[in-house]
Amino acid sequence: MTNIAVDLSETSHVEAGVPDTKSADWVFRASVVWLVIVVVFVVLGELNPLVGDPNEKNADLINASPGWPNIFGNDSFGQSIFDRVVVGGRISIFVAIAVTLIGIVVGGTMGLIAGYFRGWFDSLMRLIINTTLSIPALLLVIFIVTVRGRGLANVVLAVSLLAIPALARIVRASTLQVADRDFVKAAEVLGVRRGKIVLQEVLPNVMPTMVSFAFLTTGIVLVVEASLSFLGLSVEPPAITWGSIIAGGRDKFNDAPHVVFAPAIVLFLTVLSLNFVGDRLLKRYDIREASL
Amino acid sequence: MILTILLLALVLLGVWVVRLAGWKFAAQRFGGALIVLVLVTFGTSMLLRQVPGEPCEIALGTAATEEAVALCVEEQGLDDGAVVQYVNWSKDILSGDLGYAFYKNQEPLIDTIQQRMPRTAWLFLYSQLLALMIAVPLGIWSAYQAGKRSRNIPSWLIYPIVGTLFVFGQFVAGWRVTALIGVAFVIPVLIFNFVRAGPSGDTTVNFVAFVLLSIPVFVIGESLRYAFAVQRDWYQLTGYAPWSDGAAAHLKSIWLPALVLGLAATPVYLRLLRADFLQNLQQDYVAVAKAKGMSNTHILVRHVLRPSTVTLMTVLGLNIAQLVNGAVVVEFIFDFDGMGGYLIEAVYRQEFFAVQTIVALVAALFILTNLVIDLLYTVVDPRVTATAGS
Repeated sequence: MTNIAVDLSETSHVEAGVPDTKSADWVFRASVVWLVIVVVFVVLGELNPLVGDPNEKNADLINASPGWPNIFGNDSFGQSIFDRVVVGGRISIFVAIAVTLIGIVVGGTMGLIAGYFRGWFDSLMRLIINTTLSIPALLLVIFIVTVRGRGLANVVLAVSLLAIPALARIVRASTLQVADRDFVKAAEVLGVRRGKIVLQEVLPNVMPTMVSFAFLTTGIVLVVEASLSFLGLSVEPPAITWGSIIAGGRDKFNDAPHVVFAPAIVLFLTVLSLNFVGDRLLKRYDIREASL
Repeated sequence: MILTILLLALVLLGVWVVRLAGWKFAAQRFGGALIVLVLVTFGTSMLLRQVPGEPCEIALGTAATEEAVALCVEEQGLDDGAVVQYVNWSKDILSGDLGYAFYKNQEPLIDTIQQRMPRTAWLFLYSQLLALMIAVPLGIWSAYQAGKRSRNIPSWLIYPIVGTLFVFGQFVAGWRVTALIGVAFVIPVLIFNFVRAGPSGDTTVNFVAFVLLSIPVFVIGESLRYAFAVQRDWYQLTGYAPWSDGAAAHLKSIWLPALVLGLAATPVYLRLLRADFLQNLQQDYVAVAKAKGMSNTHILVRHVLRPSTVTLMTVLGLNIAQLVNGAVVVEFIFDFDGMGGYLIEAVYRQEFFAVQTIVALVAALFILTNLVIDLLYTVVDPRVTATAGS
């Protein structure tokens, strides 16, 4: 299948109009602050004096509402939701970052080579990209996790298979644009080796696109992983993820809605911030998805 | 039956495209789709071979006799080479033998599909209609407002939005959650709109769409389920009622999942349509129409909406993949016995063969739909053929 459908459809994210930088500034700063808070809390984990043991059950606090000192409340075992969200974020965020890095490195390399050197490798890449993108993402992930088991490595592998072709497609398109520009042609005429041109001329110019989409991808991966955990198909139970806290709160929604809402809101704000940062970077570097 | 009609339509479309665009173009499109289809199905059957241990033993359970396992291994061709197995499998599929939904009791998969597919199909249809009904007018309006700066528009638009969110919070879980929602949603919106001077209605719509885009489907689904199905009985979780039970019963049994799925799809269409509109509004023919003294409404609806529908059509096709993802989650939340619900069930029961077949079928459906849309393009917009080579 050719790419016209895909190409034409990717008009979505970026505004075609005048970039509204002033209003974005506020939101952009807030997003960055939120992301930093999340990452610091999650990385520190239990070392942080504010965070207790996520598995400590307290019979007095069963289904306790949000308040002080447990600002997110407690679940039906009396476990502090705040502690669980902080510790559970470790897997969620690890998966998101790991998948994005794999996607950037593998997909980016594929896209660069395909976009700059063209030829049979490009045809092959386009075939692979089209094939992988034509399977509904969640189905593929579910299938892989069913077949290979529910380990952390398998989840990362399965979700990476989605991120790689998506990023490869974007990097390839961006490389095609850059490769067409005069300074690349000049380097070619001067007789610079092609490998060197890719690394020194093309890559730096593709970098902004890669970084912007890395943020957007991280957001998508967070949601995919959370959906998987929600369906009970991610990492096995003793491990906590944001999705599994939400899934665990489902039965007791009546008594303790905060068990679902607290991690859901943290997840939502994180994804929203990632989207804002990604979108803002796209605007900053004037990257039009429509032209990719 | 349905397959025959689909294939016939495809052939007719193919003939049309050949007439319009020539053999080479048509062959390119059909050949490409076929290659991708084969690769996808082959890939899924390769993945199945990665099952640790013996898939047949897992499928039949621990109580199975050795003969039964041996029979199953032979039937599924697990001892054959990868290619032989794949060829046999596709022969079976093409001759209409889809295998078993639940291997142990030899329940044919085709029955399950016939029973459950209509539910998912209706769910898709309603959710897409709803999403388009919201996204198209809002998209047009917000593109029209883009770049304008005024203090007045958000002040009337923001109140219904904030109000709805508060009522919703109250509805779902009382004031504590309302307060949480307030912190999470309303304050950013308020800051966004009032701290800085004068964003337009477009900014607000865009912002809300952005926010909606960032909420995972299961969060929307879970809260609406709680609000409408658990706390109030506006929606019964008792199951699906077909059209033959009457329109009211049918709609009553499906409206909430459709709403959730529709809400998840709305921001995608909205943002896309808006971006597309903004580009089209800069075209010369808009200026000409304006110079001729046509009204804004006329220009927007008659001159700009038409080219934008082509893009929207493509995205509707591509969004099927997204929709399948959403349907899996939504059907799981609402215990809606559709294909998505069955898929999760099959995964839990480790019915590898059924999962493989369904993944392959969905991928095939997706590829076919996009092929049809790709071909329709040539019919709708002949320029596609001209630029296809580049």
